[in-house]
Amino acid sequence: MAQVPISMPQLGESIAEATIVKFLFAEGDTIEADKDLLEVETNKAVMGVTSPCAGKLCEILAKEGESYPVGAVLGYIEVSDEDARSLGLDETPVEKPRKKEPKRHAAPAAPQQVEPTVKGLPVPAHAAGASYLSPRMKARMSELGLHAADLAGIAGSGAAGRVTIEDLEKFLEDLERNRITPASTMRVAVADAMRRSATRPLATVVLPVRLDAMLAHRRAQAPHKAGPALYGLRALAMALSENSAPAGRLIGDRIIHPRSIDIGFAVEADDGVLVPVIRNADQFVLADLIERYDRLVELARRRRLSPGDTGGSIATITNYGVFGLTMATPIPLPEQTLLLGMGAGQIVPHWDATEKAFVPITEASLTLSFDHRVLDGGAAGRLLRRIAELFNKPEDL
Amino acid sequence: MITYKEALTAAMAKLLADDPRVFIYGQDVGSFGGAFKVTEGLAAAYPDRVLDAPISEDAIVGVAIGAAIEGMRPIVEMQFADFSTCGLNQIVNQAATLFYRTEVPCPIVVRLPSGGTAGAGPFHSQSMEALYATYPGLIVMTPATVEDAYSMLIEAVAIDDPVLFCEHKLLYNHLKAEKLPTESLPAGKARVARHGRDATIVSYGAMVHESLLAAKELVEDGYEIEVIDLRTVKPLDTDTILASVARTGRLLCVSEAWPWGGVAAEVVARVCAEGFALLDAPPQRLNAKDTPVPYHPDLWSAHRPTASAIVTATRSLLQA
Repeated sequence: MAQVPISMPQLGESIAEATIVKFLFAEGDTIEADKDLLEVETNKAVMGVTSPCAGKLCEILAKEGESYPVGAVLGYIEVSDEDARSLGLDETPVEKPRKKEPKRHAAPAAPQQVEPTVKGLPVPAHAAGASYLSPRMKARMSELGLHAADLAGIAGSGAAGRVTIEDLEKFLEDLERNRITPASTMRVAVADAMRRSATRPLATVVLPVRLDAMLAHRRAQAPHKAGPALYGLRALAMALSENSAPAGRLIGDRIIHPRSIDIGFAVEADDGVLVPVIRNADQFVLADLIERYDRLVELARRRRLSPGDTGGSIATITNYGVFGLTMATPIPLPEQTLLLGMGAGQIVPHWDATEKAFVPITEASLTLSFDHRVLDGGAAGRLLRRIAELFNKPEDL
Repeated sequence: MITYKEALTAAMAKLLADDPRVFIYGQDVGSFGGAFKVTEGLAAAYPDRVLDAPISEDAIVGVAIGAAIEGMRPIVEMQFADFSTCGLNQIVNQAATLFYRTEVPCPIVVRLPSGGTAGAGPFHSQSMEALYATYPGLIVMTPATVEDAYSMLIEAVAIDDPVLFCEHKLLYNHLKAEKLPTESLPAGKARVARHGRDATIVSYGAMVHESLLAAKELVEDGYEIEVIDLRTVKPLDTDTILASVARTGRLLCVSEAWPWGGVAAEVVARVCAEGFALLDAPPQRLNAKDTPVPYHPDLWSAHRPTASAIVTATRSLLQA
């Protein structure tokens, strides 16, 4: 009889070890091939470890509740010589470690690469990869006013691909051969905000929405009419006044809820974007907001916004449709969870079920970009659908 | 050629010749010439100033302190650095604090034949520099070269404070130089023993030579390692260490003494505190194992840092 080891499988790219939840069989049980033998738990999920072959579970080495590195032998299956031959195994018994020893440190081969020093840590504790910045690198970068993002274009030559001080100096030297102009204060400020925001896991959901009702409403309001973005802003404000939780911010393990429904809107200015704010946007009807909105746009374009006109908003709307763009995944402001985007309207064929014919309608994409830590696709989708609903009843806005 | 030990003898001969206040006091330092023959021949030339002492380190240091108060410049020889603990009270409580208490200087030199040799075991191998360096008022020298053995001993006698002079037994006969030096760095100043680019090894005493061997071996890997010889562990030349780490970004401190509260720990602490922004990797130290020094030569080789252990530690530092 030959013995086949049951090993802790590689359960995911960054998983170095897993904890045994329970064995589904006892020593002596007959087992089939490719059936779950035991359950293991990583920091991501509970998974089954399947039997490599049919046979008899002859020995369990691992203990329930204990953690074992990938590759550790958890037990042995006894197989007939015939099966062993068909599995390509020698009939000579597998050499196995002494019985019942704690196998915690029994990871075979290359323990140098994956040897977690902290229980449950999914990556090698001493990883010194591309993202590692030594104190010396940090000091040099702060001297030069550089950020980690500025180093993205450098292929590091150091240990595990990390960028060395020599790599940095060479990179900077190479740059000197290009034409170099200073970035404007506005550009640097936007860069800083985007870099901080992008440290979060961001996602975007998309919904096509008909614009015909809004466009008709606008025409009826002429000459004193609101821009499409203001319709979106008001719809967003109303949706959030019904339920402001999606606009909450996650700080540590607490959700910080908005105090009032102050909504920002993006205005393109010279070499950057400004975000003036309409305070308590849920408490004024659309018609009462037009003048305030237009004045803020005007001030923003002239770069004359006062400090009270910006900051403190809980969500922002951006109408990238004005650039002719139909869909985008913009990045929310770093202190906000939500960013509503509006694409350019397009005339598209729409199947009219009563007419049994395609009719032309004007449609645009509404996008909601969000901090995935605070809400998921479902909640973001519900909010976006509610915004679209409100958007389609412009007379209520 | 002149050996490290001969340089020490020559320094004492010169001191005896130049300064009538100098005398040598210790067990069997007279006609026997000392446990390691470092004072050999001196008693014949200066019978009144090379004096055998009774077997009491406590009394020996006490006598030396008294003589120093009276204006003499005594040089005390301990047979082994290990035995100096029998005179610890006189050294750390009396000599170290005398000037602080009375403004009377205490210019004594206590020679400590230090460090391990094969088969010497726990009582004849210890490195005591960290113990003495912890006491304010003491100066601790650890010469690593023939030139420093000579010039630093002469300087030790000239200094008005008590000096613990840690001469390394392993270097006595092995280490040779062409001639005695005519000039030297001042006490308290470290020496760049080898210039490098990729990492700094800070060391002292016999470990300087192991570190230099390691640096030589690492040249084959394309690494240029800078080696700093501290020369004096107290005062510690932080400036030279930081300047080197600024060049290389990496630090390994090698000491033959135990790790706890040692010179290597002090070097690492200072570099972390004052030069954190210079570092490309966590600074490391390599010490003797935290056990008594073993007798068996094989165990002893595994116990102390050797060139190959330093190579291994440096490689992992370079990859960190």
